[in-house]
Amino acid sequence: MKNMGITYLGDVMFEEYKNGKLESSEETNKDIENKVLDKSLHNNIFLFKNIFKNDETMIVREFENKRLKAAKCCIIYIDGMVDTKIVNENIIQPVLGHDLSEDIESDNLLEELKNKVIVSDNVTEETEINKIVTSVIYGDTLFLLEGYDKVLVISSKGWKIRSISEPEASKVVRGPREGFTESIMVNLSLVRRKIKNPNLKFRFKEIGEMTNTKTCICYIEGLALESILNELIDRLDKIDIDGIIDSGYIQELIRDAPYTPFETVGASERPDVVAAKLLEGRIALFVDGSPFVLTVPFLVVENFQANEDYYNNYIFATLNRLIRGLTSVTSVTIPGLFLSFVNYHQEMLPTPLLLSISAATQGVPFPTALSLILMLLIFDTLREAGTRMPEHVGQAVNIIGTIVLGEAAVEANLVSAPVLIVTALTGITTLINMNFIGATIIWRNALLLAASFLGIYGFIMMLIILYMNLMSVRSFGVPYMMNVTRARDHDGQDAWIRMPWWTMTLRPKIIAAKNLVRQSSRKSKEK
Amino acid sequence: MKKIKIILLIFIILINSIFTVGCWSYREVDDLTIVSGVAIDKGTKNQYQMTVEIVHINGGTDKKMTSKTISTEGKTMFDAARNMIALAGKKLYWGHTKLIILSKDVASEGVAKAIEWYNRDYETRDEVHLIISERPTAKEIFNEPGIADEIKSFALDKMIINQSNLSKAPITNVLKFDIESKIKGISPIIPAVNLKQIDGKVTPEVMGTAIIKNDKLVGFLNSEETKDLLFIRNEVNDGLLIEEMHEKDISTLASLQIFKNKTKVTPVVEGKDITINLNMDTTVAIDEINGTTNFSDDEGRMKLEQSAENALKERIEALIKRTQSEYDADIFGFGSKLWEDKPQVWNSCGDNWEQIFKGLKVNVKAKVHIKNSAILSKPIKEGE
Repeated sequence: MKNMGITYLGDVMFEEYKNGKLESSEETNKDIENKVLDKSLHNNIFLFKNIFKNDETMIVREFENKRLKAAKCCIIYIDGMVDTKIVNENIIQPVLGHDLSEDIESDNLLEELKNKVIVSDNVTEETEINKIVTSVIYGDTLFLLEGYDKVLVISSKGWKIRSISEPEASKVVRGPREGFTESIMVNLSLVRRKIKNPNLKFRFKEIGEMTNTKTCICYIEGLALESILNELIDRLDKIDIDGIIDSGYIQELIRDAPYTPFETVGASERPDVVAAKLLEGRIALFVDGSPFVLTVPFLVVENFQANEDYYNNYIFATLNRLIRGLTSVTSVTIPGLFLSFVNYHQEMLPTPLLLSISAATQGVPFPTALSLILMLLIFDTLREAGTRMPEHVGQAVNIIGTIVLGEAAVEANLVSAPVLIVTALTGITTLINMNFIGATIIWRNALLLAASFLGIYGFIMMLIILYMNLMSVRSFGVPYMMNVTRARDHDGQDAWIRMPWWTMTLRPKIIAAKNLVRQSSRKSKEK
Repeated sequence: MKKIKIILLIFIILINSIFTVGCWSYREVDDLTIVSGVAIDKGTKNQYQMTVEIVHINGGTDKKMTSKTISTEGKTMFDAARNMIALAGKKLYWGHTKLIILSKDVASEGVAKAIEWYNRDYETRDEVHLIISERPTAKEIFNEPGIADEIKSFALDKMIINQSNLSKAPITNVLKFDIESKIKGISPIIPAVNLKQIDGKVTPEVMGTAIIKNDKLVGFLNSEETKDLLFIRNEVNDGLLIEEMHEKDISTLASLQIFKNKTKVTPVVEGKDITINLNMDTTVAIDEINGTTNFSDDEGRMKLEQSAENALKERIEALIKRTQSEYDADIFGFGSKLWEDKPQVWNSCGDNWEQIFKGLKVNVKAKVHIKNSAILSKPIKEGE
């Protein structure tokens, strides 16, 4: 390369990186804490201009009062983050228009301006440069005055947010149609509106070295267990990451049993779901910028509990929930069972079924195990393609899927019809339980693989491993399978079935151990 | 790092162990030669001749199942079965075999001897039906075109199972035969199969009973006798009793459908004499009246019941007598009942039960209840 007289930029950078020259080649705002405000307005403006160097969204507006020449002032804000109406009408206009020489009595002009002139609901005096920078980034406006080494931070947040709409991923026929947005304050208000109680607590916390993402722990005091709350705070404190873009980052960073494909931290897009979980003693974690609110502890039953179950007739809800539970079992087991019956234990099939499977399999070139694995892979490919595709391309995916999966494979005798039916059955039952589709697919393939090598023996072996995995997982100290395997007293009321509301007088145990009784008027009857 | 190494090591061991075990019983369905039925005959040089009916499947768009037969000979049954691989190309799959047909010759030589391999081998099932061909050979049952099903064994299997609605042949599978052979004081019975000409087509028909005594075929019972035999054995679930009633000089035929039957065998021992009390309690319904007699009133019903009881009793007594004199094989299981109820008596006389059975006194009591007359009460008469 060098012989040809060409050097690539990347090469130079790589050389520099190898020699350790690339580090700290430019000055960054690392020593921001050490900087202090000056009494001179000019110096202060220069200070902020320096901090926001190369950031052309920062607006500096200098002006002074028409009467009081001493009142030389300046506002600093970030374009796009503020509501310009607030800046114009509530800050600039009063300061410009007021006859300050008449009104102002005290020597402390800044205090007077804050108290008498500036029209804003939230104004604070601030001297710490770190906090000032954070708030100006977050959409507040700085008010600087000649002769003062402190600034007024005026709340003027006003960026565009998505309006509240029904979440695409979890729609309901019956139930509230609002969903969380990307704005944490809107999200908090959505939950607050559902639980009008001073015991509903919100505790903020910033996570992410670079992004300074606002998070909020929300719980009901007197219901949520302190031990779980402390554990959550402890785990959040331990997070040391540069940025949080979505709550998924935190979900994975604070989860128990990190190697299991099952989720041990819940996520929901719906305020009604989160409110209901708070009422069961769970703790919610809001993350700014993500419409998905996390809830802990998260148990396996919550995968099957749809919010609509609680709004519909309880018999119908029970039926739906049983379908969900049953299909979750079948979606994991069907391919493995089919394979072990057809390839190892033909005795277990009824004779007519064996004959028709045998007839359908005549002349198919691939072994059943391989074709089953391939077909499931193709199905998952189509599913993945379908979720990411733009809507108008999605139709093409549909057509290809129908042709590939449906007609052609069987017509060309590449795949036998029973394999296709099993694939379709597995596919549809997997899609019913979107909550833990990841775990379903992973365990289904594990069972299939075990069954393809060892028949029903391997299948059951893998099933035992799956069961052991489920039984050993804890979510914030609460057994993951709680209430699934036990139906005594009130435990099974809300697991495989949904009992009528008048019988569900107790909250889930352990999680709401502090205050179990949900319907105290019926307490005497139940106990 | 150490942890990762350990996990990797476990993975390597697991994967290797999975791959090295191999697919020891992995078999594709389309590689199986499904045996639907087996026929056992005497071959040359005192060998067994085994004929299997296999299901030949034409795959593809035009799916069709046809029956094929393969015959081989071997010194033993297993020998014959293994010799079949040379002809069929693939190993035979016995998991879905429905029946074994034994020829008369083979059965006369020893039934248990012939099916010993079938009992012992793990690939075969012991729920397969046993039948004995009344024809000279067993394999000819498979060779006739038949009318019911393309695969003869499946057709025969259905015939045997549906015999419970007819009670004209017993149902015996290998397991039941084994048990009855082992138990003292009972001789096993096996249904018989014959060929019948219907409209120019020859089709197999399962009817009648083969009597096995000391593992050897000694004779056959016809279909009516079989029904009486099943009455005694308490194996009747369904079937018909046809009664002929005479009123003045008009005869009326009535079909009684059996709904329930309970037969109780009680051995009574007095000194050295053993008597068997046979009590039958049968519930029937009138399902057909070929005549004008009215049975719906109490008197008519009683008459019909009476007549049915007498006829049943007569037939059963005749059957017992015939069995005692001709075969002296205790196919009714009186001996085993005695063994169950009075083991001490059995211990003293069980060794010469054959002799005792020959002269055994049996008191037959038949009780027939008519519970209804289906959906008609009186026969439909002309001119009324």
